[in-house]
Amino acid sequence: MRSALADSVAMAAAVLLIAVAAALFGSTSMQRVVAHAAVMLSAVLALQLFSGNSRIVSFGHAAFMAIGAYTVGILTLNAQLQHNALPQLPSFLAGLELSTWNALIIAAIVGAVAGVISGATLLRLSGSAAAIATLAFLIIVYTLLAAAREITRGSQPFYGVPRDAGLWVTALFAMLTLVITRTFRETSWGLAARAAADDEAGAIAVGINPRAAFFFPWVLSATLAAVAGGLLAQVLGAFTPHTFYFDLAFTLLVTLIVGGMGSSLGALAGLLATTVLIEVMRQVESAVSFFGLTQSALAIAMILVIWRRPEGLSGGLELNLLRRLGKQPAATVVPAEVKRANADVLRVAAVTKRYAGLVAVSDVSFEIAPDSITGIIGPNGAGKTTLVSMLAGHVPPTEGKIHLGETAVHETAAHRVVRAGLGRTFQNIRVFTRMTVLENVLSAARGVHSNVAAAEEAARRELARVGLLEQADALAGSLAYGMRRRVEIARALACEPTFLLLDEPAAGLNPAETRELMTLLAAVRKERGIGIVLVEHDLMFVMQLCERILVLDQGRLIADGTPAEVQSHPAVIAAYLGSRVAAKSLATSTPSLGAVVTESN
Amino acid sequence: MLLQHVVNAISLGGIYALLALGLAIVFSIVGLINFAHGELMTIAGYTTLGALLFGVPFPAAVLLAIATTAVAAMAMERIAFRPMRGASVTSLLLTSFAVSALLKVIFQNGLSARPQPLAMPQWMTGSYQVGNVAIGVGPTISIVISVVALVGLELFLRRTVTGTAMRAAAEDFPVVRLMGIAAGRVIATAFALSGVLAGIAALLWVAQRASVDPLMGAVPVVKAFIATVVGGLGSLPGAVVGGLLLGAIEIGLDAVLPPSVVPYRDAFVLSGVILILLFRPQGVIPAATVRRG
Repeated sequence: MRSALADSVAMAAAVLLIAVAAALFGSTSMQRVVAHAAVMLSAVLALQLFSGNSRIVSFGHAAFMAIGAYTVGILTLNAQLQHNALPQLPSFLAGLELSTWNALIIAAIVGAVAGVISGATLLRLSGSAAAIATLAFLIIVYTLLAAAREITRGSQPFYGVPRDAGLWVTALFAMLTLVITRTFRETSWGLAARAAADDEAGAIAVGINPRAAFFFPWVLSATLAAVAGGLLAQVLGAFTPHTFYFDLAFTLLVTLIVGGMGSSLGALAGLLATTVLIEVMRQVESAVSFFGLTQSALAIAMILVIWRRPEGLSGGLELNLLRRLGKQPAATVVPAEVKRANADVLRVAAVTKRYAGLVAVSDVSFEIAPDSITGIIGPNGAGKTTLVSMLAGHVPPTEGKIHLGETAVHETAAHRVVRAGLGRTFQNIRVFTRMTVLENVLSAARGVHSNVAAAEEAARRELARVGLLEQADALAGSLAYGMRRRVEIARALACEPTFLLLDEPAAGLNPAETRELMTLLAAVRKERGIGIVLVEHDLMFVMQLCERILVLDQGRLIADGTPAEVQSHPAVIAAYLGSRVAAKSLATSTPSLGAVVTESN
Repeated sequence: MLLQHVVNAISLGGIYALLALGLAIVFSIVGLINFAHGELMTIAGYTTLGALLFGVPFPAAVLLAIATTAVAAMAMERIAFRPMRGASVTSLLLTSFAVSALLKVIFQNGLSARPQPLAMPQWMTGSYQVGNVAIGVGPTISIVISVVALVGLELFLRRTVTGTAMRAAAEDFPVVRLMGIAAGRVIATAFALSGVLAGIAALLWVAQRASVDPLMGAVPVVKAFIATVVGGLGSLPGAVVGGLLLGAIEIGLDAVLPPSVVPYRDAFVLSGVILILLFRPQGVIPAATVRRG
């Protein structure tokens, strides 16, 4: 968070410097170019706030700017002029002559309302479908503005807006937007949106509702875009609905993509690059008559960037000034003072799951107390994965009930089950690859601690626990496989769960890593008293680590007991006879949890 | 009256359906939402115009236009999208957006910005009587051609090896490649098909307006985008249903809206369509697999 503030101050200072230089040395037309660029910067930042965090391309921001522009235009227009230009304006809008500031505030409110209404619908869609829906939104707003002639003069130019917003107001708003955008990605909303954009299932596993995660950034960015539109109205003085149509949507997107969608630095870099490009092209365009030179230059710039440098000029990274200057607080290892888990019990009562005729899990009942390590094993197709999905609240059972303490898991959304005390990892690792290791864990910790400092401390503690404190600032996507597994475990632990559900935690690990994992899990259980439940194919691993084993076969629970009991159970031996290797390891592996823990001490 | 509206709705919906289908075929296989689809329509329109000006007979001009559009679609894939293979859905979408912008600039400079008249043969412009209702020949032909194109596509996808490979690729491309089918061929065919469909749609569109202009593809293709989303992004039957639905809503609103509200029509159409998505976020007929993105 401190890093975000330092960065935004630095970037805002750069904007201020340009504004001061323009004020001192620039001609009037130069100052207008800078004011216009400052408004565009605010708009591109607003777009970055949404698209950068959600990774959903939006064509709709031009529409929010249009909404802001017409709001400010109508509210600030000189009464006499307004009467001449818009004789049929509804009386509650007529003759208000508000000051620029008041008009901008109202534009922000109107933008926010438009954001809430559009967001409630658009954000139910995923990825590309949502992008197309924002396109539909752009067309809807354009059509409305062009059709509502009494209010907007239709496709005729809307003119006479007082040009009050000069260099200083626009620069000030650009600076404010920079601070908001740079800081936003570090807030719990920003983390939630980025997590949901990176991996939806992973986000749910840390208690984030992916549908809600994009809503707040959308509304906030709509608000900022509306104000930017209002300022543009004041800078331009006259405009039509066409001013805010495809060309503007295109320019905003190109600017963001060229700079780098992932960061506010990208928006700034993109704006500087495209402003220079556009101004140069204007000069060329006036010399040679070639229609659309600017548009084609922008298009080519974007194609080149996507092709050669997909994350944009900024590489999608923030300035991270403090880290560069080495002013980051030293990565202190916090003593592992953690809360012991509560005594909630995980109860599975007569649970059955059917998929179109196939019975995946059939009438399974068991209870697991915290402060335990339980393994769930069974041959392929036994129903282990289905059972795990039901325990995590991802899939509701067809019949039966699952309770975690007081929470009825079978009728609770998966992201709420996490809050009730269930942390989980996935068979195919689901870390948030575009976030740093620390942010991965922080996204979970923020769900538990509302205090930023406390959350960060908790996240560092979990990283220390799994031995990844050194890698805290690395992108999770850049880590080796075994390390990603540990990130996932740290992230699950940061949810401060009563139960830790691990889906094949040893898959793909080499023997040394498997051994480390065993030591880690045994220690975590000992220190926090949580219940660890794991599904695993590596029977040696399960037999050595777990004190209780549930065996599933063809959807039914065929055995439940200590490793020794399970190993000699006739039904288990029968179920595993098909696989000679498994049967052999079932027979030879001895329960030796104590041995492992002692060895590590 | 009602019969007239139904014919108009199906003929307009049919054009949207053909366009949406072309978009959906490409999307289901490479995950690309092709913004430059509208420019394919423009290419078809001007090829017809050019061929007719050179005295090519009408049927040959039509075939030439469709073939040219198919080749243009394949060229687009080869030049702009193949270097991006494996890029994210967002990168592909933005690339096609830029390609579309570039082509628009080229058309606006190379072609006259003013609409050029493109007269359809006499026999297409008349009307015939059903009972005492006059039905346009144009819309009727449009419906027939749309149906033939849809049936033809269905046969291609069901009866040929490439077609079967394409249906499989729409569900799981990596597995199709493991089956030893050349990815390049499947993708090229997908683009060629989308070009053929865009070409047919362009001709039907032009037939009803009797003129071509450099930006003629923009409006119908944006509608087709929305049709694919409403139908279920990546679902071929969904694209057809979405297209017909959009056509029906548009013609229906034209019929019932009072004249003072007609300028707002597109806003109503799109809002109505988005309301459908509110209840069916995956579309009317969701795609068989959850696609990337």
